[in-house]
Amino acid sequence: AAAEEFTEELLLRPLPDRKALAHFHFRSSAPPASAAGRHHHLFPKAISQLVQKFHISELELSFTQGRWNYEQWGGYDPMSTNNAKPPGVELWAIFDLPLAEIDATWKNLTHTLSGLFCASINFLESSTAFSAPRWGFKLNEGNLRYGALPREAVCTENLTPWLKLLPCRDKAGIASLLYRPSVYKGYYHSQKLKLKSSQSLGIILDQTLTVVLQPNTVSGKQLHSTGGQLQPSWSMEHLFSKKLSGKCLVSKSSRVFVEIEKGIVDNVDKAGSDVSSNNDLFVLSTAPDRSLKELDNLEVQSSSLYEYDVNNYNSDKPLNVGITWKLPLIWSCTRAPYHASRFLMGSGNERGSIAMSFLSTGLDKQLVDSSNDCSIKAVVFQVVPWYVKVYYHSLEVFIDGNSKAISEVVDKIHVTPSEDKLLPGTMEMLLKFPCSMQLATLTLDFDKGFLHIDEYPPDANQGFDIPSALVSFPEFNSSRSYPEADPLFVSPLLENFKEDGVVKSYTEVLLVPLTTPDFSMPYNVITFTCTVLALYFGSLLNALRRRIGEEERGLKKAADKRGLIPLLIAKLRGQKVDPSESESTSPASLPRSKLLLKVVFVAVVAIVFHYLSNS
Amino acid sequence: MAEIAGDETPPLPSSSGAEESSLLSSPPSPTAISGDEPPPRTRKPGTKRLVLTASVLLSFLVGLPLLLKSTEIHRSPLPSDAIADLSRRLQSHPPSFPCGLHAVFLRSGPGSPVASLADQLERAISTQHHLLPASSTAGNISVSVTIQSGGGCTSSTAAASPWRCGLLTAADSVRDDEVFDELLHSALGGRDGDGMKVYTIVIAEDDDGKGTRVVIGKHRHAWVVGKVDEAEALSLIGNVFIKYFMNGGIEEGETGIGKGEFMPVGSDGNVVLSFSLLNADPNDWVYDWEFKNIGERILTPVVEALRPVADINIESQVLYHTPKSSYSYSDDKLGGNVLSMGDIPFFVNSNEWHLDTSISATGRSKVLQFVVYIPSARECPLYLQLPDGELSKTNAFISPMWGGVVIWNPPGCSVGSKKAHGTRRQMSSQELMETLEIFIGQLRQLFGLKPNYHAQGMDVATKFLVSEKGFAQWELDLLYRHHACSNLLSCVATLESLSSLVQSLPRMIVMDEIGRQVELSLEAASLAQRNATLGIGDSSAVSATRARALAEDAFFHPSIMSISYASVEHYFAIYMV
Repeated sequence: AAAEEFTEELLLRPLPDRKALAHFHFRSSAPPASAAGRHHHLFPKAISQLVQKFHISELELSFTQGRWNYEQWGGYDPMSTNNAKPPGVELWAIFDLPLAEIDATWKNLTHTLSGLFCASINFLESSTAFSAPRWGFKLNEGNLRYGALPREAVCTENLTPWLKLLPCRDKAGIASLLYRPSVYKGYYHSQKLKLKSSQSLGIILDQTLTVVLQPNTVSGKQLHSTGGQLQPSWSMEHLFSKKLSGKCLVSKSSRVFVEIEKGIVDNVDKAGSDVSSNNDLFVLSTAPDRSLKELDNLEVQSSSLYEYDVNNYNSDKPLNVGITWKLPLIWSCTRAPYHASRFLMGSGNERGSIAMSFLSTGLDKQLVDSSNDCSIKAVVFQVVPWYVKVYYHSLEVFIDGNSKAISEVVDKIHVTPSEDKLLPGTMEMLLKFPCSMQLATLTLDFDKGFLHIDEYPPDANQGFDIPSALVSFPEFNSSRSYPEADPLFVSPLLENFKEDGVVKSYTEVLLVPLTTPDFSMPYNVITFTCTVLALYFGSLLNALRRRIGEEERGLKKAADKRGLIPLLIAKLRGQKVDPSESESTSPASLPRSKLLLKVVFVAVVAIVFHYLSNS
Repeated sequence: MAEIAGDETPPLPSSSGAEESSLLSSPPSPTAISGDEPPPRTRKPGTKRLVLTASVLLSFLVGLPLLLKSTEIHRSPLPSDAIADLSRRLQSHPPSFPCGLHAVFLRSGPGSPVASLADQLERAISTQHHLLPASSTAGNISVSVTIQSGGGCTSSTAAASPWRCGLLTAADSVRDDEVFDELLHSALGGRDGDGMKVYTIVIAEDDDGKGTRVVIGKHRHAWVVGKVDEAEALSLIGNVFIKYFMNGGIEEGETGIGKGEFMPVGSDGNVVLSFSLLNADPNDWVYDWEFKNIGERILTPVVEALRPVADINIESQVLYHTPKSSYSYSDDKLGGNVLSMGDIPFFVNSNEWHLDTSISATGRSKVLQFVVYIPSARECPLYLQLPDGELSKTNAFISPMWGGVVIWNPPGCSVGSKKAHGTRRQMSSQELMETLEIFIGQLRQLFGLKPNYHAQGMDVATKFLVSEKGFAQWELDLLYRHHACSNLLSCVATLESLSSLVQSLPRMIVMDEIGRQVELSLEAASLAQRNATLGIGDSSAVSATRARALAEDAFFHPSIMSISYASVEHYFAIYMV
């Protein structure tokens, strides 16, 4: 029987904006076995048990910090389609279960993953947080669930459990390059875990980590003096502050690749040089063990790849792949047919609209002849939380500034409207744009909902994030194949490159400010109610108990008493003295004894209550 | 209100006004002034006002029950009487398992034994029972005696003996112990039957001059071979029965089963045995094992034997780059690196050993880690040193409630051995089996039994036959009995605290599910008790486990956790103000 295998690979690629991309790829595979989930040698036991317990046939979990720059870093290559992920956490899974059990299993799965990866994935448990797209995300039979947490902060506490799934962790092999300060200093950081499980293949676990780094070169100052024209020359040591000293001993293969984009290759060709590891434009610091050339369908070489086998290097002779530029060079990456972006319109806390714009990058001009009836398809998938109540009927489409009928542009649409505190709104839409189009804009109106006071997140005034929308272009395939004569050369990384890769891009996360209540409101309400009650009871008791007329008479009498002069005058005039004067003193002793009685009574009651409540 | 309105008077002339009027010498007498108004009140307030006050009070009083009704919460009634009753029953009569002691005397001499002798011996054995320690879970012991000699058998009157007369003679005892054990087992009916457990001690008279020796078999019997007189035989019978069959060889003052040791079983009755092979430094050598086949084969009988006590799952994994976290020092005399006992608490390196709890161990189940540690070339061979300076024979140690560690020195490793750079090897099946035997010993110890027996306290040579199950039948009986007892006690303790918690918090919502769980738990507990009085240890253990699991489920029900903080003051604050 086949044994469990582990391979580790790293791909480095210079980027046009003087940054460098590093893509780590680790594959662990377990053959189908009866003991799956119980006895393992290399494959992580936890993952195998997860697959067994939740009947997962496919799962992808990504943790991303930063946004992939589709303009600069490429939007039409396997890296951007497979490894550019929306900020925060994205999780989707396909279950091998009856449809009725899927939601419950998903909820358990989110809790398990949240424990495994030290993240708040459990917030995807609530039915308001996940959706079941049918075709907009990935074609399925209703057994796919998708959820995203755009605000999840990703850091080293998520990386450590991810590394624990590798047999050598970061103690040896390619993963030992993951020096945390340099990895988290990068511009983009996306760690991903992809699982595929089937009866015939067993479980395949792909763990990838994609980082975009600024090479930390000593000659950084010199770069600024030349106005950023020159690409920085970098090596592994500059990127990770470490050199690679050998492979993980249990790995089947351990390779490092350097990929040179088509833009550079074209430049090299123009300079009349052969694309080798040492040409007129650049030189690789270490001679590669093998070089591969991509051939696209037109049989024109587009990009090239240099391979290093880490097996040949050890701690005495560490591998430090680098690239040194001989001439200043400007190139650009291939971009997706449209640059998709999403933004909010409107102001105020009551309503607004979401707009999505598609700006042509001019790619279609090269690919398709601009005849009149030609069109380009785009699929939009977006999930909106329920408190942003989107009116899907208000969809409007503008092409090059002119309003168009929806039927002209929208080929197919599938909407699951949101339900308050129950379901998020999901929209899957197949659009057809004319090839000549420069800019298309879609707008959707929405009302902002009200949340219950305890549904607000801790920092409610920051606003609420709407997860990224996914735009895919089904007619464009970004797969890249590096044909290789040697049949023994198996590289999971290049296999992934070869796989079907519909060009995809994620839009920005939207930040919607919602009306936030004054969070001291409940206390204000309590205070206010108490005041009203006190006033009501106070005045009622007053009205019942007090006799204002008599009190006033009493007042008058008191006034009479004090009026010594009138009394004297009255006496002098021989009038009778008010008889009430003598009366007033006698009842004074009676209230005093009454008061005493009352005090005693209250004390007795208090003592009895205290005694009873304590016994 | 009318009255109040009637009381209203125009503003009284001020004193200065009065002065003025007197100065004007118009004679407004004080009586005239009071004559304008109603006279001062001399009687009690009228009925109108009283009625008004009463109606307000009454409407409040009428509304009060409604308010209380509206703030009423659902509380499922808990059978607190039944819980208290069960606890009282358990305190006054702790579960005791009646069992039988059957002594068989195999006489080699001819002639029919005298029936009265059997009765006499039976009485003699019965008198020894006061030796039974109080902590024992054994209840009534019924004693029976059979005497077999050349002429036939005589049994005491007490019980119908399962002994098949004549199947076995004293001469058979010279055979191999294992064979004799099986023969004895078949002579006693051949099965570990249900119902009351009867322990048999056979006294085989054999005068081969080798002296007396005692063998304790895999099932529920032991035998004594040698020339023993009657008094000695009686004391041996009592000793073996009480010391081993009843107490598992645990002396007073030792930790072990029934001596305050907890069983490493999760409160839902599940245990995961997680076996890990740790390669401290794969740069030196990488070892793998064939655990799936060998481990399962060896451990399955153990799992089956312990099923009434715990539902056991077995898992295994291989980990790399897992150094230990304590220091060892090199000892030239011993030819290796030595780890003293004092460093053992720091041996387990929880930072680097990502042993992981298992996903399959859900809820409150227990994970026991069993770790094979393969030292790196630098520290190889690594030995454990006992406090008396000797090296540990097994090179292993346990950590109660956590698991066990075995240090396995790969073959051909010695001080200064060359690094076999990155070679991948397989642990041979022989070595793996030896390691697993150590693990079974550790498991026995974790469950409170002795890893192996030394014949201490016995004045004759004692031998113990080892079962392939890891646990002899009489040891399992002991485990079942203790497990049933401790689970019943812990179940009752949980139920009692739940009931007192519910009573102390009158504002706590008690879901119906909790009530149902409590009832089921009580049912299971009384079933366990009933089985205990019948002497059926294993099913009693199963029911007791179930009772405890249900009690814990009820106690840790999520709804209890959320509401248990709401106090009466809180209630008043919310509803009354």
